[in-house]
Amino acid sequence: MAFPLQRGITPPEISFLAEMEMVTIVPRQRLEGLELLGGPVEPLVPPRRTTVPLWLASLLKRQRRANILPPPWLHPESLSLILDIETQHQDYQHAFSPPPPLPGQPRLRDRGRKPNARPRYTPEGQRYYPTPPFLPQNVAQDQSFDNGEPPTLPFHWLEVGTMLLDVASDDVVDPDQTRRLLKELREVRSAKIRSGVDVLDVAAVAGGGVALTGVGAMEIGEGRGFIGGVVDGLRRIGASKEQARREQLAAAANGEYDATQDYDDDMEF
Amino acid sequence: MSYYEVDSILTDAQKLPCTFELDVPGLGILEGNPGENIKAGTRIDLPLWLGEMLSIGARLGTSRLVTLDIPSALSERVMNALKADPRTVDLRALAPNYYRLSERVLELFEEEEMVDTLSNTFKKRAAEIADHAHNPKGALGDGVEFLRGLDETERQLFRVAHDSAKETRIWAGEAKKR
Amino acid sequence: MEIDDILASVDHGDISSPESTALDHQLLTRFWVAERSVPELLPWPGRLMDRMMERVRQQIETIEDLAAASSEYTSTTTTGQGASTNTSTSTSTSTATLKLSILQTDLSRTQYLLRSLLRQRLSKLTKHSMHYLLLSTATPHAPAPPPSSASSFASESKQIQPEDSIPTPLNPPPPHCPLSASEIAFLHTHQTLLARHFGSSFLSSFPPQLRRLDDNAGGTSMLQGPDAKEAVFVRCLAEEVGIVAPPEPGDGIEEEVVGGTMRMGDVWVVRWEAVRGAWERGDVEIL
Repeated sequence: MAFPLQRGITPPEISFLAEMEMVTIVPRQRLEGLELLGGPVEPLVPPRRTTVPLWLASLLKRQRRANILPPPWLHPESLSLILDIETQHQDYQHAFSPPPPLPGQPRLRDRGRKPNARPRYTPEGQRYYPTPPFLPQNVAQDQSFDNGEPPTLPFHWLEVGTMLLDVASDDVVDPDQTRRLLKELREVRSAKIRSGVDVLDVAAVAGGGVALTGVGAMEIGEGRGFIGGVVDGLRRIGASKEQARREQLAAAANGEYDATQDYDDDMEF
Repeated sequence: MSYYEVDSILTDAQKLPCTFELDVPGLGILEGNPGENIKAGTRIDLPLWLGEMLSIGARLGTSRLVTLDIPSALSERVMNALKADPRTVDLRALAPNYYRLSERVLELFEEEEMVDTLSNTFKKRAAEIADHAHNPKGALGDGVEFLRGLDETERQLFRVAHDSAKETRIWAGEAKKR
Repeated sequence: MEIDDILASVDHGDISSPESTALDHQLLTRFWVAERSVPELLPWPGRLMDRMMERVRQQIETIEDLAAASSEYTSTTTTGQGASTNTSTSTSTSTATLKLSILQTDLSRTQYLLRSLLRQRLSKLTKHSMHYLLLSTATPHAPAPPPSSASSFASESKQIQPEDSIPTPLNPPPPHCPLSASEIAFLHTHQTLLARHFGSSFLSSFPPQLRRLDDNAGGTSMLQGPDAKEAVFVRCLAEEVGIVAPPEPGDGIEEEVVGGTMRMGDVWVVRWEAVRGAWERGDVEIL
C-alpha cells in the first residue's frame, strides 16, 4: 500500500475541525469584511460583538486584536452542573449527559414533542442538515442559562474548551477551576466509554447498533479504533448466527415476531 | 479467508484433529511415512486448509475421506475455564490466532454455546485490555501476565487502544511525541 | 449574520455568492470526515469539487494581487516618505498584513481539506486496487480461461503476463463508478506498473496459469474489496432512520430488513452497510 492512512480523523484533525466552530469576539480594531473560502466574515467594528470561526478568533486574540467571549457552557458553574448530571443523575449513570438539540429537535424539557427536521438543499438537490461545527453551539449568550434548561456540552466541547484555555485564558472565568472541571469531565466520561464494552455485541449483529448520544468528537477519536475493533471482532465470532438473526428480523417485519423491541431504547451506555 | 492477509494465512496453517475413514494408498507422508498407506481410523492433526479440503465429501454426505474434530484449543475443558474466568486463560498459548481459529472452526461445526462463550470472553477481556491500554504508566503486576496471554486479535486491539489514548494525550499536551 | 440566514438565502441560489461558498465549505468538510471514516470509497462529488477548485484558483489570484499591492505600497511609502512614516500609514500596512495572513490561513485550511481527502481516496484505491479498477469497467469480471490445448501452450506461455489480468476502464466510466476520471487513470497506470513489476521480479518464472492477479482458484479470490460491515459512528439527522440489514447473497432473504431505529440527534455505532442508504439520502452524517 503506497499511501497508508488510518481510518477516521486523528486528534489534530478533530482539533482542526473544531476550529471551524463559530465563537463570539469583541474586536479591538477595525477590519473590512472578507470573502473567505470558508464563507464570509463580517466587518470588525470595535466594540461591536461579532462571530467568527475559532481559528480566526485565535489568530486575532494572539495578536491582541480581539477578545473572545467564551460560550456559556465554558464556565465553572455550568461545568459543575454538567458534572453532577454525569455522576449523580440516575438516567445518566451509563450514558453521557444530553447534547444541545439540533435545529428542529425538541429541547429536553419538551421531550415527547415531535422533532421537526427541516433540511436545506445542496446545489445538487440533496438534503442537508447543518450540524457541528456549523451550528452556533459555542457563541456567547447574554444569560448563561436558558430559563430552566440545564447547560449542555457541545459536540466539540473538549477541543473548544482546551483551545480557549490555551489562547484566551484571560477571557475565561476562573481558568484554573475551569481546566480542572474539564479534566474531571473527561475522566468520568472516558470511564463510561470503557465500561460500555459490555453492550457492544448489540452493534455487532445485522440491523443492530449501540447509541452513544452525547459523546464528543475527541472522545469518538479516542475510542474509534478500540470500539470498532471490538464490534468487528464480536461480529466475526458471531458470524454463524448471522443468518438466523436476519431471518428473525424478516419475520418481525412480517409481524410474526417482534424482535425490534430489544433494539429500541435501553441500549445507551 | 482473505488473500493478502498474513493472520488469515497463518490461521489457515493451524492444525485440526482429523480421522481417516478410508484407507488411502500412498498418503503415509502425512504421518511421516512416505510411500506407505494411511489406514482407516488413523488420527492425524492436519492444517485447516488441508483438513477442510479432505472433509468436503463428508459435508456433502457422499464418501467421507476424513472427519474433523474440534481442536484442543476449543475443547470443553477450555470452554469451562473461559466461562469460569475469561481473564485468567492464556489464549496465546492455546493458539496465537485464537479467535480467527475459532471463527473458522465455527464455520465447520454448529456450536451455538461456543459462540456465546467466546463472545463473552472477547468482551470481558476487551474491557480489561481497555483499562490497561489507558494506563499511561503501562502494565503493572498481574497486568503483565494477562497482556502476555493475549491472542493476535487482542494484541491489535491493545495496540490501537493504547495508540489512540496516547495520541489524544499528545494533543492535550499531557504527553510528548515519542 | 447567523449561519441559519446564510444557509436560508442559499437554497438553489447563485453559485458565486458568498452564501454558496459557505455551504460548499460545509459540504466539503462533511464529505472529508465521511471519506476519512468509512471503509469504502465514496462516490466522487464532481460538481462540488469543480466549484471548490475554481474558488481556490480565484482566491490564490486575489491573494497574489493583494500581496503585490501591499509590497508596492510598502516600498513606495518607505522610499517616498523616508523616516517620517506617520501612524496612519503604518496602521494600514499592518491591516493589509493582517488581511493577507487571514486569507492565507483560510486558503491553507481549504487546501489541507482537499489534500487529505485526495490522499485518503488514493489510500483506499491502492489498498483494493483490482476491486476498484473493476468498478470502472461495465461488465462483471470473469477471469480469462486457462490455456487449454497443448499446441498453443508454448506460444501462449510467453505471452501471458500478469498485466493481462488488468481490466481496461470504460470511457466514459459506467454511471455508478465512484472514481473520478483522474483517479481511474491513476489506478490503471498504478496497477499496470505493479503487475509489470511483479512480472519482472518473480511472476514471469511461474507457470503461465499462475501469473494472473485476479485468480480465484481454491475458493479464495485474489480480488479483495473493502468490508462494508465494518463499524462507523453516525449522527441521525432526520426524525427517524432505520438500521438496515441488506440482503446477503445466498441466505434466502431477498429484500433488506430493518433492525433498530435511530432518532434525530442520536449518535450510534453501526455497520457502514446499515446506514449507507441513509447517508446517500443525507439523513445521517458520518462522524
